[in-house]
Amino acid sequence: MTETDRISRGSGGADVVDVRGYVVRLDREYHPPTHLWVLDVGGGHRRVGLDALSAETYGRLAQLVLPPVGRRVEPGDEVGSLEAAKFVGPLVSPLHGIVRAVNAAVLEDPDLAVREPYDGGWLLELELDPGHDRVPGTVAGDRAVAWYESAVAAHCEIDEADR
Amino acid sequence: MRTLDFGTTSALRSQSSWHAVAAAMRPGDPPVLSFVRPAEPYVCLGYHRDIAEVDGDWCQEQGLPVLRRKVGGGPVYLDDRQYFFQVTLPAAAVGGHRAAALARLLAPSVAALRRLGVPAVLDGYGEVTVGGAKVCGHGAGQVREGVTVVGNLITGFDHERATRVLALEEPVRSEVLALMRSYVASTPVDAEAWKDAMVREYATHFGTTPSHDALREDELARLERYDELLGDPEFVAGQPRPRRAVRTVKVRAGVWVHEWRHAGRQVVVTVADGVVRRVIGELPTDLTGVDVGAAARMLAAADDDLAPLAGAFSSAQAEVAAA
Repeated sequence: MTETDRISRGSGGADVVDVRGYVVRLDREYHPPTHLWVLDVGGGHRRVGLDALSAETYGRLAQLVLPPVGRRVEPGDEVGSLEAAKFVGPLVSPLHGIVRAVNAAVLEDPDLAVREPYDGGWLLELELDPGHDRVPGTVAGDRAVAWYESAVAAHCEIDEADR
Repeated sequence: MRTLDFGTTSALRSQSSWHAVAAAMRPGDPPVLSFVRPAEPYVCLGYHRDIAEVDGDWCQEQGLPVLRRKVGGGPVYLDDRQYFFQVTLPAAAVGGHRAAALARLLAPSVAALRRLGVPAVLDGYGEVTVGGAKVCGHGAGQVREGVTVVGNLITGFDHERATRVLALEEPVRSEVLALMRSYVASTPVDAEAWKDAMVREYATHFGTTPSHDALREDELARLERYDELLGDPEFVAGQPRPRRAVRTVKVRAGVWVHEWRHAGRQVVVTVADGVVRRVIGELPTDLTGVDVGAAARMLAAADDDLAPLAGAFSSAQAEVAAA
């Protein structure tokens, strides 16, 4: 099977690629160091969420903390945290900007970020700082698929070693 | 593998020492196995937990410090009969599913207990148990670039104080105390023999030779930072958490007490091993002995007001399924 064969049209109308059961959507950018996706929602705003592999890595999310609306963040800032199976992980911003919205539904039901990582489980929206409309370190399109394939391969090898 | 023994320290240092090691961890660093024992009793909250879960007034009366850690789990009472261990390694070295990684990193601690003749197992709920009773409290987290798994050897356990530090009212407090006595146990082995066994098992796990060490300069710098942070009242207070219709107290994974309050009504339900064991208060139907999944469906169908209790049952079961 070629890479193109795996491209299909997702529920939101975006092209999606299935990598060994983990989906990557091609309508957005991905930030490999944080495993977050970044989606341009217009007006200089970007929506941010966990990619499907990160969601799988956590398993069922029991706790989630997000930053307050209005907070200014920079790349590398810890802006929240997640907890699953007693494992607490940081949520690190890939962007320069101001938090303009947080997803109330995912705060109420953190596991939504795992069940619907690309849709209802989005985490927050930021208004990018002027001059920072290009998000550093992100990949999109074919580069995103190539990165995702290597990340999924590494993940599966480790999981297989556990068995 | 580096081994660090911080000895017997203040309550604050029994937390800040290993936070410093994790925070200073760099990609490519060897794993670290560390030990510390608190000189004094205190209460420690998991990173995301609501400080209102702790009876702060009682703790203050008793002179018990309340601290918060940057790893998961609930509020716990700790004292000098508990020996803490931490396994810390670079985040990049920990992949796969977090629950699987946690189990993988806890396995040598179980082997160490077995080496000492304690028939411990890592059970299907992800707990270290002997005969169904939890013998090791554990949690895990990522602090900067370091991932750390923490646990303890409980050589003696004060069930009464461990329950009393929680902000509970009757009949929940008595219920939790009874369950703690049944489901949390101590392991009175020699602490030095246990440390030796731990070092051997973790060295084998990582395939390295252990080397006893002291904190590096960068770790000492981090230690100062974590002494400040973990002692900061604002950090300990944490973020306000939404009030929920159901308060759930986890005694060990698989054993919960759910307390539901609404419009002057109160129902307390104990669930153990997937079955409703006891109900205090009035429900539309007797759920005692009913599978918790079926109980959740019955409650949700019977009364809209009871939907949050049904939801709490389902959430707790989903946590077990994910373990």
